[in-house]
Amino acid sequence: MTESALPIPDKKPRLSFRERLTRNPVVIKELRGRMRGNRAFVVLTAHLGLISLFAVLLYFAYTASSGNVYGPSSQIAGKVVFGGIVGIELLIVSFVAPAFTAGAISGERERQTYELLRTTLLPARSLVLGKLVSALSFVVLLLFAAIPLKSLAFLLGGVAPEEVAISLVILVATTMVSGAVGIFFSAIMRRTLGASVLTYVFALVFVLGLPLLMIVLIPAYQYFFYSYSSSPGPVLEAALIYGFGLLVAVNPLATAVFTEVFLIEDHSAFGRAYALSNGSAIPLPSPWIPYTLFCLFLSLVLVLVTIQIVKRKETS
Amino acid sequence: MTPIIEIKDLVKTYGKLTAVSGLSLQVQSGAIFGFVGPNGAGKTTTMRILTTLMAPTSGEAYVAGYSVIKNPRDVRRAIGYMPDFFGVYDDMTVWEYLDFFGACYEIPEAKRPAINQDLLELVDLAHRRDDRVEALSRGMKQRLALARTLAHDPQVLILDEPASGLDPRARIEIRELLVELARMGKTIFFSTHILADVAEICTDVGIVEAGKLVAVGKLEDMQRRLMPHRRIHVTLLDKLTEARAALAAVEGVAEVEVVEQVEGAGRARLVVEYAGDDAAVSAILAWLVAQGIPVVHFSEDVRDMEEVFMRATKGIVS
Repeated sequence: MTESALPIPDKKPRLSFRERLTRNPVVIKELRGRMRGNRAFVVLTAHLGLISLFAVLLYFAYTASSGNVYGPSSQIAGKVVFGGIVGIELLIVSFVAPAFTAGAISGERERQTYELLRTTLLPARSLVLGKLVSALSFVVLLLFAAIPLKSLAFLLGGVAPEEVAISLVILVATTMVSGAVGIFFSAIMRRTLGASVLTYVFALVFVLGLPLLMIVLIPAYQYFFYSYSSSPGPVLEAALIYGFGLLVAVNPLATAVFTEVFLIEDHSAFGRAYALSNGSAIPLPSPWIPYTLFCLFLSLVLVLVTIQIVKRKETS
Repeated sequence: MTPIIEIKDLVKTYGKLTAVSGLSLQVQSGAIFGFVGPNGAGKTTTMRILTTLMAPTSGEAYVAGYSVIKNPRDVRRAIGYMPDFFGVYDDMTVWEYLDFFGACYEIPEAKRPAINQDLLELVDLAHRRDDRVEALSRGMKQRLALARTLAHDPQVLILDEPASGLDPRARIEIRELLVELARMGKTIFFSTHILADVAEICTDVGIVEAGKLVAVGKLEDMQRRLMPHRRIHVTLLDKLTEARAALAAVEGVAEVEVVEQVEGAGRARLVVEYAGDDAAVSAILAWLVAQGIPVVHFSEDVRDMEEVFMRATKGIVS
C-alpha cells in the first residue's frame, strides 16, 4: 500500500504572522493559564512594590547625602532614581524572563504532554514561538506597568523622554534575549532544573560577567592610551575604540551606562563623532543601537536553532 | 478490503537491544484490534512508530495509506493517539483542555464549541466541563483523553493500555466506549494486558513477543489454530467403563480423563480432548446416548484468551 486512501486535505488559507500568533493555541493556552487566578496579580504587585521600594530608598539615600533636593541637585536626584529603576529592572528581566521560558519545552516533557502535542498537527515553530511570545508578553507587561514609576523622575527633572524610550528598548531587547536563551536550554535539556541552571549561568555572565571584566579592561585601556609617549596609529586606535564599543554593546548594564554618557556629554540619542588623537573623527553609534541589534540577532538565531532542535527530536 | 494500518518488516533497535524485530501486520478498516504481549514485547515501540513519535530503524508502516516516515503530518491527521499516561496541564478546565487540542488539530475556532460539546456528551463528561482537569478521577481523565483523541474525527484510534489502572466500573465504561466508537466507524488499535477485554470486544488479535508477531487473526481462528483440541466435560450417572470404550472408538478423540468418580456409586465426570467441529461434537453426544450411556451433563469448555496467550507466547522478553 503506497497510495493514500484519503482525499488530500484542504489547503489552509495563508495567514499573516500576526494572525498566526494570535491564533496560536499555545499562546492562548499559556496566557490564559498565566493570567488566571491571583498569581499574575501577585507577581505584578510584587514587581511594582519592589521597584517602588527601591526608588524610595534611592531617593532618600540621595537626599540624605546631598541635603537639599530643591535646586540644581534635584535633577541629579531624578537621574539617580531613574537610573536605579532601570538598573533593577534590567536585573529583574534578565532573571525573570528565563524563569518563564526555561521550563517551556522541558516542562511539557515532565508533564508528559510533549508527546500528546507531537502527535497533533501543531508545528514545532508554533510550539516554540507560542511559548516564547506568551512568556515574553508577561515580562513586557511588567516593564510597561513600571513606566509610570520611571516617569516619577520627571517630577524631579533631569530625565528626558528619549531616555525613558531608550531604556524601554534596552529592557525589551534584554527580555527577548533572556527568554530566547531560556527556551533554547529548555529544548536541549531533558529536565527543567538543568535548563534553569544553564539559563541562569548565562544570565549571570550576560549581565554581570562583562562589568566585572571591564573593571580589569578599563584600567588596561587607560594604561594603553595614556602611558605610552607615542599614541597608537589611527587604525589601531579606531579598532580599539570599536572593540571596546562592541564589548559594551553585548552587555545590558554597560549599554545603559554608556548610552547615558552619550546623552549627557553630547545630548545625542543616536551617536556622536569621536575624535582620534591625530585629529580625525570616527562615527560612534550610541551603544543601545548595536545592543538592540545584537539582542535581536541572538534571539533570532536561538529561536531558529530551538525550532530545529524540536523538529529533529520529532523525527528521531 | 483495504487495510487501514499496514506494517511491513518493521525493525527498531536501541543500540544492541532489538525492541521490534521484523514485525509485519495488517489491520482492516473498522476492526477493533487488540495488540497483546508481555511487558517489553515491543507493543509501545510499535505504537510510537505508528503515531510518528519514533522513526523505525528499518521497514515501513502506513496508516490510512500514508507512510509514517514520508507523510507524518497526514498520518497525524488520520490518527487519534492515547498514550499509557495522562498528560495534565495545571489550571485548565475540561472544556479548555479539549478546545486547546482541537486548536492544535487546526479545527476552526467557530466549529470547536459544538465539537467539544458533542465529545463531552459522548464520554459523559458534559456536566464536568468547567471543572479543572486535575480534579477529575482517573476514569474520567481516561474518558477525557479518549475525547481528546476524537477531536479531529480521525479514522484510526491508537490507544496504549486504555484501561490500565482503572477500577472495574471505569474499565467497563471505557470498553463500552470503544465498542461505541467502532460502531461509529472508527478503527481501534489498542494494546492491553487485560485479556478479558480482548476476548470481550476485539474483532482481531495480534500477539507480540520479543519484538515479533507470534500470532494474529480472529480470536476464534487463533483458538482453533493454537488449541486444536476442544475440551468436553461429560458427567455420567453410570457405565463409566462402557463410556470410556465408546469414546475411545470415536475418531478425533485424543484423550479421555476421569476427573471425578463417586465411591460406591456409578456417577463420574470425564474430560474428553477432541479435535473436530461443532457437528462432530453433537455426534459424540448422540453416539453416547445411542450406546445407552446415561449422560446427565455434556458441555464444551470455553477456552479463554489467557490460554490462547499462554500457548502463543513462550515467556521471552526482548
